[in-house]
Amino acid sequence: MTNLSPFDIQARPNRLLAQALSCLLFVVCIGLYMHTSIARHRENPEDRVVPNGHQLVAGIRSAEEDDYIAPDNASTWERLRHSMIWKDTASSGGRFFISLALLIPFVVLAVHIGLFPWFGAGFLRFFLFFDKIVALSLLPILFIAFGIDQWSKIALIVIGVAPTMILDVTQMVKAVPQEQIVKAFTLDANNFDVAYRVVFRQVLPQVINSLRLNLKPMMLFLFAGEMIAASDGLAYRIAIMRRHMGMDVILPYVLWVALLLFLIDFSLRVINRRLHPWFQA
Amino acid sequence: MVSGMSTPEMTAGLHLIGGQATRAAVGAEEQAHAQAAKSISIEDVSVSYALERSARRCVLENVSLEIEEGEFVVLLGETGCGKSTLLRMLLGQERPTAGQISVAGSRVERVDARSGYVPQRYSLFPDRTVLDNLMMGPLTSQFHILGRMRPSYWAARHAVRVEAFRQLTHMGLQASDAGKYPYQLSGGMQQRVAIAQALMMKNRVLLMDEAFSALDPATRSSLQRLLRSVWSETRPTVVFVTHNTAEALFLGTRLIVLARESKDDACGSRVALDMKLADGGMTLRSHGQQFLDLVEHVEAASCGQRRAALDVCNNGSSVTRPASESAEDGELP
Repeated sequence: MTNLSPFDIQARPNRLLAQALSCLLFVVCIGLYMHTSIARHRENPEDRVVPNGHQLVAGIRSAEEDDYIAPDNASTWERLRHSMIWKDTASSGGRFFISLALLIPFVVLAVHIGLFPWFGAGFLRFFLFFDKIVALSLLPILFIAFGIDQWSKIALIVIGVAPTMILDVTQMVKAVPQEQIVKAFTLDANNFDVAYRVVFRQVLPQVINSLRLNLKPMMLFLFAGEMIAASDGLAYRIAIMRRHMGMDVILPYVLWVALLLFLIDFSLRVINRRLHPWFQA
Repeated sequence: MVSGMSTPEMTAGLHLIGGQATRAAVGAEEQAHAQAAKSISIEDVSVSYALERSARRCVLENVSLEIEEGEFVVLLGETGCGKSTLLRMLLGQERPTAGQISVAGSRVERVDARSGYVPQRYSLFPDRTVLDNLMMGPLTSQFHILGRMRPSYWAARHAVRVEAFRQLTHMGLQASDAGKYPYQLSGGMQQRVAIAQALMMKNRVLLMDEAFSALDPATRSSLQRLLRSVWSETRPTVVFVTHNTAEALFLGTRLIVLARESKDDACGSRVALDMKLADGGMTLRSHGQQFLDLVEHVEAASCGQRRAALDVCNNGSSVTRPASESAEDGELP
């Protein structure tokens, strides 16, 4: 067999090479960061813009300590439970998951819009228009309506993501072959059976995938709300640290948020694969 | 529904009483009996769709058919002649622009469980295993969502499960296939399960839309034989849409060819040929030249060149074509 060029569509790297290639950009990024950090620290040992390893560890430690003074024999878990990063994660996570739960009724509504012509006639154009409203422009209105507590941020996330998800799920429902719906009716299914036992079951894996794609926009809206007005939360901490040039805290927070999103996405992917083996085919 | 009084009893009644009113009553009952024997009734149905600039495209034009219980009707015709449209109307998925359709004695208004349905594609629910696909119909019809909490559900489920396995093996599949998802089955196996799924509902009417069109010739042939044997056992009324003449002649007890007389949008398809075969269908091997003559005749009719009504006896000796060749003005004899 002839050796194909790496730029050939038909060329496939072996498994080991593929894994090495997927790690390459991570290594390059870390290398570039370290190189920049070392260069800047050579000029100014107190540089805080690109913190070195020691500064990052100190930053994470400081993020672990809020106003709570841990006893000397306190366990790591106890220290973590009283840390800033834990409290901020709990606050932001609470808002995030409440928003996620509030999206469920909109998914159900989308199934009805896609399936029942009367619902479609009533709701579809409204959401097509509503989707074009820039959610962040509504933030002042939300602050006035809900105050600056967590409900304004939750409302921002829901208003920002729900119309897109509704339109997405509506398209998924419309894509379910008409034969399936007709077949279900010939098997004596009623409207409820067709909506939930046939169509919803079939689009559920795609809904989960759509949710996975919307994780980042959801976090984006949450960060926007928390950066403008909040007393706790991951974005609030980053915004506070920005004033103090606290890159040693900001960088671990950014990586922590990315890791959390990655884990949620990974969990949803695994759940989807386990629950819907037929969808992978 | 079918009247309890048989024809000889009615005649006896006429002789004994002899009154005018009784005659009328018995006449009405006879009419009801005849109506009940008709599984499907299509009365003067036309279908047209709106095009741009207020023009309309006529798909079907004044189609009238009476299909009796236990007939195996094959709808033939060229692509776009309205075969599938007619089947969708029998299902209740579409409404005719004019005329009316009745299935099993009542008018078709919406898709319901009166008819079983086997489409060409997407015939099974992809998110359910073969067994779940088979059990879905009977369980759904007996228990809606809250009914599954009743204790009787589990007993009924067991009975349905036993019946599902029986149907599965009857269709030539293994019991080990029950746990497979549709994507793990070949096209032929999927269609076998789809037929079994429709049969699980014990419908008296089965509508099949080019159900074997996507299969390879060998699988198609084996499914044709299977369908014939299933039909012979329980004699449901089958309406089978295809554009394969040989398949139509093999399967059907009655062939209906739909064709347009011109390609003009205003001109819809009509019944170009309505031909009765005997129960055994026709096969190339047993009927040789007669079969080939029929294929030629049917294909000519599908081009809209002529109309005929044929009664073909299946003993291979007599073929009657009453006035078919001379029906130049387009009127059925």
